[in-house]
Amino acid sequence: MPLDIDPGLLGREFDHTTYGPVAPDELIAFARALGETRPEYVEAGSALVGHPTFCLRYKGHKFYPENIPRSINVRTGLDAGKDIAFGVPVRPGDTIDVRSTLHEVYEKTGRTGSMYFVVIRFTMTNQRGEMVAVVDNRFMHRG
Amino acid sequence: MSIAFDTVAEGDELPVRDLFLAKDMVRAYARAANQVAPRFTDDDGARQEGLPGMITPGNMSMGLLTAAIEAWAGIGALRRLGTTFRGLVLPDRTIRLCGTVTEKDDTGRTVELDVWLENEDAERLVIGTATVALL
Repeated sequence: MPLDIDPGLLGREFDHTTYGPVAPDELIAFARALGETRPEYVEAGSALVGHPTFCLRYKGHKFYPENIPRSINVRTGLDAGKDIAFGVPVRPGDTIDVRSTLHEVYEKTGRTGSMYFVVIRFTMTNQRGEMVAVVDNRFMHRG
Repeated sequence: MSIAFDTVAEGDELPVRDLFLAKDMVRAYARAANQVAPRFTDDDGARQEGLPGMITPGNMSMGLLTAAIEAWAGIGALRRLGTTFRGLVLPDRTIRLCGTVTEKDDTGRTVELDVWLENEDAERLVIGTATVALL
């Protein structure tokens, strides 16, 4: 089934969620779960920062925009990968603003039939307005 | 410790990291990452979703690759990481985290990497590219 997408949906913010304040214990537990032992990641104090991929904990409350094309079954998505542009690290006490936009939708045909890819962009900033990360998350749906 | 830009050459390999990925490690990550779901914590729950058993979150694979990159490049060096999840990363097996230098930018003092996570059969389950800035 061909995709029927309103071009006006692309780049339009469909969710804005704020998280925090970030607790030191959250940062430390996350880093330890990845096997980190370096003091910058696991010792409480003024030098503590979040592991770079800590930002992946954050996403919007709405998974997809409400008017996503009907040919995409939003209940059957698989995480196909992510692209992260890193900014400043998350620090204890930060609040993180997450703005979600529909970045791209495209179709591919493989051996098993057609697949739809939906790319959601999460733009994350802290309370100082600094960019923490921009995450493009690709979800794959069977056609 | 981090590697110096001037000592890096295209074709260099990052130190390989072998890691036995125990189920309890994956469960601990799922809790810490706010990704508690049967597919990441429980074999039976994962099978009910049509999976062969518990799987490792893609985000954890990215975290482990990041840790391997930073062990070589230093904390704060990573500017970008892009990955494709090609296959299921099943716990209770040994994974290997690998990378190679594909390009150097003398102006920006950055290097491009190919990175990947492979299983014991050398199947690349997660592939990606990264940009790191070196001193």
